[in-house]
Amino acid sequence: MIEKERSMTAKYVVGIDLGTTNCVLAYVAIETKSPQVELLEIPQLVATSTIESRPSLPSFLYIAPEHEATSGALGLPWQREMPLAVGEYARRRGAEMPDRTVAAAKSWLCHSGVDRRQPLLPEHAPPEVAKISPVAASRRYLEHLVAAWNAKFPEAPLAQQQLVLTVPASFDAAARELTREAAIAAGLPESLVFLEEPQAAVYSWLVARGDAWRRDLSEGDRLLVCDVGGGTTDLTLIDVAEADGELELRRLAVGDHLLVGGDNMDLTLAHRVAELFAEQGVKLDAWQSVSLWHSCRDAKETLLAADAPESHRVSVLGRGSKLIGGTVTVDVPRQLAVDLLVGGFFPQCAIIDRPQRRRASGFQEIGLPYQADVAITRHLAAFLTAHAGQNDRSAAPTHVLFNGGVFKADAFRSLVLDRLGEWSPADRPVRELPGPRDLDFAVARGAAFYGWTKQQGGMRIRSGAARSYYVGIETAGLAIPGAPRPLRALCVVPFGMEEGTAVDVPSNEFGLVLGEPAHFRFFSSAVRQQDKPGALLPTIDEEQLAETDSLETMLEAGSDDAETYVPVKFQSRITELGVFELWCVSTTSDRRWKLAFSIRDDAPEAAS
Amino acid sequence: MRLWLAVRCFFKALFHADFANQCLLLLNGTPATPDPVAVAPASAPTLLKSPRNDAITLLAALQREARFVDIVNESLDGYSDAQIGAAARDVLRDCGKVLARVFALRPVLEHAEGATVQVPAGYESECYRLTGDVSREPPFAGKLMHAGWQATKCDLPTWTGSGKGALVVAPAEVQLG
Repeated sequence: MIEKERSMTAKYVVGIDLGTTNCVLAYVAIETKSPQVELLEIPQLVATSTIESRPSLPSFLYIAPEHEATSGALGLPWQREMPLAVGEYARRRGAEMPDRTVAAAKSWLCHSGVDRRQPLLPEHAPPEVAKISPVAASRRYLEHLVAAWNAKFPEAPLAQQQLVLTVPASFDAAARELTREAAIAAGLPESLVFLEEPQAAVYSWLVARGDAWRRDLSEGDRLLVCDVGGGTTDLTLIDVAEADGELELRRLAVGDHLLVGGDNMDLTLAHRVAELFAEQGVKLDAWQSVSLWHSCRDAKETLLAADAPESHRVSVLGRGSKLIGGTVTVDVPRQLAVDLLVGGFFPQCAIIDRPQRRRASGFQEIGLPYQADVAITRHLAAFLTAHAGQNDRSAAPTHVLFNGGVFKADAFRSLVLDRLGEWSPADRPVRELPGPRDLDFAVARGAAFYGWTKQQGGMRIRSGAARSYYVGIETAGLAIPGAPRPLRALCVVPFGMEEGTAVDVPSNEFGLVLGEPAHFRFFSSAVRQQDKPGALLPTIDEEQLAETDSLETMLEAGSDDAETYVPVKFQSRITELGVFELWCVSTTSDRRWKLAFSIRDDAPEAAS
Repeated sequence: MRLWLAVRCFFKALFHADFANQCLLLLNGTPATPDPVAVAPASAPTLLKSPRNDAITLLAALQREARFVDIVNESLDGYSDAQIGAAARDVLRDCGKVLARVFALRPVLEHAEGATVQVPAGYESECYRLTGDVSREPPFAGKLMHAGWQATKCDLPTWTGSGKGALVVAPAEVQLG
């Protein structure tokens, strides 16, 4: 009912891309027949006492020392005094003051090895800095967007609009739950829905393409969405099918969360170029290293271009006001960049190759579980092989939709297409989808358009749960002292389970003790698409099942409970808003208990 | 009531210079002293009118993002062209990015230079600079020597500071500890 009322007062559908490195907000009027998706210009601090509106808000947070915060120099149009800054100024301060700057909070959100409600960031902050949790940092970015929106549309506050928030396709149920928590705390409406980022990119392509897309794709085609952002890689396969004479898009599979992106490439090149400087006897300080990193972003695009010069001059400007005199330069040969970047990130490999377990090249920081193998092509090969169905000629896609800033460089698009071409059968060529590319803003735009189609009707991608989920069940039998009981996995959510549905999981009964917390280990799989609810896997194969945050509930004992032991079965639900719920349902009464994620430090348990 | 007020004002204005000045301001329709509460935005979350000249704000942006002020203030004596080029390449690229973002510059005429273009009758002299035989009457046809530039927007940052900072193009950078 509330749902209905809200949709009656909402004037806009708003799509928010809460990105690892940038946030974008797009919106479209609900009551329109021809949707025009606009981007919100976001006022933000770009320097002390300087406000500028930009279409994206860098996802950085700078915790200012008190003397800076109280000076009012971090004030925003809607709040005079701010203890911290988000956006462009925070990003710039991050280069000079990494100890006080939070970056990549989103990558921490899906890091189930730590308690993401605890103040962990900035990771290396000195003790006098008040740290902030990954959830709170995400909330701050969203609060800024809410304030910016409400300043522009005081008559239509964001809390009353239809909201679509995008998450990586690879985000598991716990990471989604935390994102939702941050969003609600920031003042977004409870009715917000989630959309997977690669799907959002497809919706953006659909709105840009209009009806022409029905000529671009045909039945039997398979679309790969290849989304490589600053810090993450997100892969999705979408099949084109025909139903009732109409083309239909079905999301087939999503990849795992890969912490490798464009920033790794820039850093890798910067690291090598810093060595070239060192060979000349030039030692770069921390400030110059950041400057070099930015120069290397341009250098990598120049050096990998089709008509690339044999070498490219990289300069680091002098820091003081004597700029020319302090500038140092080095010539970076093309071959060096090709070896490092193509060899490291897009190497030739066979479709049967797998990512290496041990780190091969590239940068690594402590903390986040960065990918051991930065070769995007090997991850791509593993993803496509995992989802080649039985009797399927090949999982090879026929079309590719690129997303993410990395693909502004022609070279990286060509590299991906070349590798896919090598794996494809000769009669099944692969090509990029036609139409304009909108690599930075497609996700937010697509999210807004998706929300509009929910209201007004239009092309929808059929999806459902992107992963199957399992509860860990200890096997019965004689206990062996000192050895944990072997664990089996009970499937509670099948792949593709649709929103707004519930499943009673067929299984034996489980006995739970009243008055004590019940605790279950919880796993997800992006590759076991065939498991039905109630399927019991005899062992936990780490290649296929990834452990996520455990689930728990407190079973309160009623005063008139004669029994202390309740037999239960599981029921799983995915709400209309895409929120996952798992319930323990008593088989002897009508009582039921909802399990909640215990987002705390499970690392030792996960390791055991 | 008003009569009594008028009488009081008469005498007070006669004997107190300050009061007389304030009466004058009131009569001229200007508030005697700016009300600090009225000046501050009540609840409006709109951008404040910047107390500094926009030219400084633009210069600050060019310096912050492209080191423009540094390079034009540096003596070129003693540097080779290669040294100057190495620094200028980055500065020019970044200046271009700032100008593109703030002004989104476009040519006034979307023709290739060297092409023949029409200058309409009643043209605006701000948009065209004519050379050669200008004694005839418009419209004209002529060869485009320079396509011109025009801003399609002007989205300067807003400065919210006060006092001395209004003239600061780039703050002094001090490393502590």
